[in-house]
Amino acid sequence: MASPQKTSYDFYLILLTVLVLAAISAICVYGMFYFKFAELARMPLPVKNAYMERMNELVSPFVIALILILAICVPKRILPAVWLNRFSLALGLTSVLIAWRWGVVAALKIALCLTLGLQVVVLGLALAGSERLNFETKGYWLRLGSSCMHLGLVLFILDLFFYRHRGLHLLLFWVTTISTVLGMTGCFYSPLLARRAGGLARRAKGGG
Amino acid sequence: MMPIAPDLLLFSRLGLGLMVIVLTLSAGAGGLGLVNLCQRRPFALAAMRVLAWVVAGMLVAGFLLIGWLNLRIYQRLPLKVPPDLLPWLNQGLAAMNAREGAGYGLPLLDPAQPPRYILPLWIENGKYYFWFMAYALMILPAISRPVSHRLRGALVALLALQNAILFLLTDPFSRPLPKFFDEIGPWFAGTLDPLGRLGQFMRLYPRMLFYYNTPYMWLHPPMLFMSYAAITVTFVASLFMLAGRGRPEVEVLGYDYAKFGYFMLTLGMLLGYPWALEAWGPNWWWDPKICSSIMMWAIYSTYLHTRLYAHRKTMWYFTSGLGIVCFAAMIFTFITSFYFPGEHTGQ
Repeated sequence: MASPQKTSYDFYLILLTVLVLAAISAICVYGMFYFKFAELARMPLPVKNAYMERMNELVSPFVIALILILAICVPKRILPAVWLNRFSLALGLTSVLIAWRWGVVAALKIALCLTLGLQVVVLGLALAGSERLNFETKGYWLRLGSSCMHLGLVLFILDLFFYRHRGLHLLLFWVTTISTVLGMTGCFYSPLLARRAGGLARRAKGGG
Repeated sequence: MMPIAPDLLLFSRLGLGLMVIVLTLSAGAGGLGLVNLCQRRPFALAAMRVLAWVVAGMLVAGFLLIGWLNLRIYQRLPLKVPPDLLPWLNQGLAAMNAREGAGYGLPLLDPAQPPRYILPLWIENGKYYFWFMAYALMILPAISRPVSHRLRGALVALLALQNAILFLLTDPFSRPLPKFFDEIGPWFAGTLDPLGRLGQFMRLYPRMLFYYNTPYMWLHPPMLFMSYAAITVTFVASLFMLAGRGRPEVEVLGYDYAKFGYFMLTLGMLLGYPWALEAWGPNWWWDPKICSSIMMWAIYSTYLHTRLYAHRKTMWYFTSGLGIVCFAAMIFTFITSFYFPGEHTGQ
């Protein structure tokens, strides 16, 4: 359990994430009951496709919100609060402009690519053990794990746009899976990893 | 008579004996668990722990027995095709494989190496067995921790309840793999005419390759069942968290199991993804089971995020409430397979 004394940016972002995830959960439950009571399993393919389209439309605002939260969550690791506010505003405006000129999908892809780039930078800094990163929790492995896990999430959402390109889609999917697994290992088992790494370092020193 | 009938008889007899022992020992452990749950002071904790260890060991022995039956199925029930049907079948398979848009290939038949079933250990009633066995093994470190005796008692009482459900409702030994044997029964009965045999084979062979024998069956379901077992421990810890603040060890216990459960759930769901693409193509995303799994994962993610702030009073109760909702979502997700139609249920 972290013990930050005052309410932080992270706290509000987490509350926002909770709300978005709750909305996505509610849509999922609605989808399940609709699927059953409209007897979609017995319906012809066009009716099923129409249902899929409708569900995609329903969930898309919340996926967009999740992407935007991610796009703010990632740079908050490297930017101070004032610059983060400016960045969030700039990102929001740019997304609206791109959506207006080239469509929502293009805006989301750009936001995701930007997030991905920043997340790679965060991962690089975490790997180098940079103290300049803003994390709610401390520990080298934990920060590295958190960076990997969020990289996996960004990649997973980005990968959904490539589902028509089977080869690339699956390749990205496996990168996502590896990143997520490494991330969860680092995040959840950082004390164990730190102990093992410390033990190995001591052994190497003793041997050398 | 099916060539495996004597093995089935032996399996059922051994399984029944084992289940009776498990149930008896579970009743003892559960009774001690209930006493500890209700009493102010700890009561025979060491005996309760020993009984829980023995029950878990017996469940592992039963699991090995299930493995033995599956091995016998592999050895004794090959799908041997009569020589006169072989050319016809291979022609049909080649034509299917050459079909435009077929994203898969069915291997041609070699009479020297007939296709064999490699059954996973967690199909039909075996899935309940594996789930409850995973729970039995998982609570062993928990009941050795210095947490309240009431919490330890509750974990063991729940183990006894699960084993009672296993024995009374979902016993995998009394009638082993009923759906599987109903499926393959007509083929091994030998009463079908050649054309009927041809049709029967074309039903059994793809199901063998894409369901029973697929490597994903060894990853996706067991990981989810292990996560279900871990969520159950988190649920019990969350109930105790609701009873009052100031017990960080209870929160830490719940979180330790939540971490493992989330790990398994996320990885299990991810590993189901390429399988779904292979089996169903892109038309499965809003299937009820997928919806409920996404919902469960979202709630679980929420729990892990809010838990960072569990030192605050409101967040302590909110987090514990979410731990309980996670469990409810898990039960809901599991029941989905029976109540909601879709790709996972085949309804």
